[in-house]
Amino acid sequence: MRWRLAAVAVTLALTAAACGTTTGAVTDRQEPTGGAPSPAGAKEVTELPAANRDDSCDPTASLRPAGPPPAPRAFPGGSTMAAIVARGKLVVGVDQNTLQFGFRDPRTGNINGFDVDMAREIAAALFGDRNAIQLRVLTSSQRIPALKAGDVDIVVQTMTINCERLKDVDFSSVYYLADQQILVRADSGYTGVDSLAGKKVCASEGSTSLAKIVNQDVEPKLIGMQVAGWTDCLVMLQQNQVDAVSTDNTILAGLAAQDPTTKVLPGSLGQEPYGMAMPKGQDDFVRFVNSVLERMRGDGTWTRLYDQWVAGLLGAGTQPVPRYRD
Amino acid sequence: MTASTLLSLPRQEPPGRVGELRSLARTTPGVLIFCMVGAVLVSVLAGVFTAVNVQSRAAALDSLANRSGELSVAAQDIYRGLSDADATANGAFLSGGREPANVRARYESDIAKAESALAVAVAAREPADLADPSSPLGVLSAKLSVYTGLVETARANNLQGLPVGAAYQREASNLMRTELLPAAQDLYTTETAGVAEDQDDAAALPIVEVLLALATLVVLVYAQRFLRRRTRRRLNVGLAIATVAAIASLLWVVVATIGVMANVNASRENGSTQTDVLAQARIAALAARGDETLTLVARGSGGAFEERYEKTQQELAGGDGLLAEARGLASAPDVVDAVATATEAQRSWQQVHTAIRTADDSGDYPQAVTLTIGTDPNGAATHFDKVDEQLARAIEHTQSAFSDEVSQADSALTGTVIGVILLALVTAGGAVFGIWQRLKEYR
Repeated sequence: MRWRLAAVAVTLALTAAACGTTTGAVTDRQEPTGGAPSPAGAKEVTELPAANRDDSCDPTASLRPAGPPPAPRAFPGGSTMAAIVARGKLVVGVDQNTLQFGFRDPRTGNINGFDVDMAREIAAALFGDRNAIQLRVLTSSQRIPALKAGDVDIVVQTMTINCERLKDVDFSSVYYLADQQILVRADSGYTGVDSLAGKKVCASEGSTSLAKIVNQDVEPKLIGMQVAGWTDCLVMLQQNQVDAVSTDNTILAGLAAQDPTTKVLPGSLGQEPYGMAMPKGQDDFVRFVNSVLERMRGDGTWTRLYDQWVAGLLGAGTQPVPRYRD
Repeated sequence: MTASTLLSLPRQEPPGRVGELRSLARTTPGVLIFCMVGAVLVSVLAGVFTAVNVQSRAAALDSLANRSGELSVAAQDIYRGLSDADATANGAFLSGGREPANVRARYESDIAKAESALAVAVAAREPADLADPSSPLGVLSAKLSVYTGLVETARANNLQGLPVGAAYQREASNLMRTELLPAAQDLYTTETAGVAEDQDDAAALPIVEVLLALATLVVLVYAQRFLRRRTRRRLNVGLAIATVAAIASLLWVVVATIGVMANVNASRENGSTQTDVLAQARIAALAARGDETLTLVARGSGGAFEERYEKTQQELAGGDGLLAEARGLASAPDVVDAVATATEAQRSWQQVHTAIRTADDSGDYPQAVTLTIGTDPNGAATHFDKVDEQLARAIEHTQSAFSDEVSQADSALTGTVIGVILLALVTAGGAVFGIWQRLKEYR
């Protein structure tokens, strides 16, 4: 029986081959490869400088505020604040992809979130108007170039303070303390960094998360997949193009909230202190922003904004204690 | 042929035969036989070759009317459908919330048009032509459904208020711009080259036909001169008929071909050349519209899209841009008028675009969005639609000019193949009849 089947199979194959050759080249047909396309700019990280190892400074110590913020629009001539007020709006670099921090609500088209409201508080302190604000959407890797080029006055975009970045920009005091964690598909069986050895892990280009992923101490190394925005990572996870996404729990919670088949693994890869970034050399502006942050800690604004945006994702939170230098 | 030559020189039989033919050629009946055979051979050959050439000319015209012409239109429809679908999907994303029904309808109709044109393009090929998945049609067939899938995923997420929808929209648009549109562009280039090739074939000079007809005439004239000298009869009816038939065939072919060449050249000048420039202009307008929308979608980091927008508008409306070129080429008043209206609408669009950039750059994003996708008669959408409509109107006109000229060319060849063959038979028959009359006298 088996032989007969084999004989039939061979005959069929020969017939098919013969037919193929007579009708010409149909047997040469190459299998098209299926699969999802990649988001624009997605690529594997093959080489990355050993970042985040720079501990030459005390990154979270920011400039001490000179007392409470002055009344809106009442700034000394020649100050950075006076220049911004004269121009009419505070130009803020934000994200549009991070749920609850800086995200575009597809139903209204407006960009909202904890970071955006924090920036609005700065605008209110400058102009007496929360809406005297112009948002510019930046990707992680565009933040520092935008500050250096003067395209934005300030970046409020889940941005980690570290010594390397302090060479290019100045930071406010810490306004939020996040942890880097890992997001996987709930049924994938991954438990942590060790189980992901040699697997593809997605992070935003130019983020501190990406550097941390590829520098994890496991063999074989995690393969970093860099994309432009955090939601691109979720797309790639949903399309099975990466095995995990790793970044701050703030961002991951926002991604997990958009896809109930994913989960955030417990365990922190390290703390990520967020600061507002400003162009280098505007000490008056840094001190002013720190004074506004100080006031927000005292009058409950921070807690109100946290409860409004973040508590639903991450539970109750405590505001970080600022550290200063003079 | 004597027995001795056969016996003593069997190997020199061919020279013997040649010698015999030579001696035959010195006699009058010999010459007449040569003339008869020559006339028959040359006229039949001329008939066959001329018929074949006319047939291939007719085939090229048929291809222009039914294949390459249609395919270049299909390729254009694919490009336009895809490009407009992408701009519309990105625009729908800008509007926030559920997109207006007419926007969704426009996207759906763009995709339907592109898919139906793609079916036409695919149906014109052999399966073997589609074996390579990286060929333009391979890419379009395999990836268009991936694109629409991503757009629907984006839409479903958007409706639920999830920001990941925007990421799916970006991925879809990236697929469109990096793979689908370049493939559609390649296809368009190939199909327009096919049209030009068919036009070249249909309008080739009839050199072979004319030479063969002249050769037939030379043989016939020689035979008649020979007979006149040898027989002192002025007119040989058979040969005269043959000559008239040969001249008629030559004239028919030359007149028909000149007609075809004139029509084909007109199909170029009034048709395909203009269509190509107009189609390029339409594609440029679409690309600029897409970039205008994407600049806003990128929300402050769309500098690259804005740069490309300016570059494309320059190609479209610059001093030696596509609109100027279309205007220079335009021959029909309707086309001149459509191009002029499109040029005007482009100028208004450009003015609104400046206002959009001013609004966006000064932080008035909602105003920029309203100016870009709003249905206001002074919005960018209205002006762009007008540019697109007018160019479409001009293209419709040049395409129908193209079809008219091609079908006129085709009718100029009607009956030519049969006619040429019949006249060749008349020529051959006349020559045989005429010479046979004289040849009989030598029996």
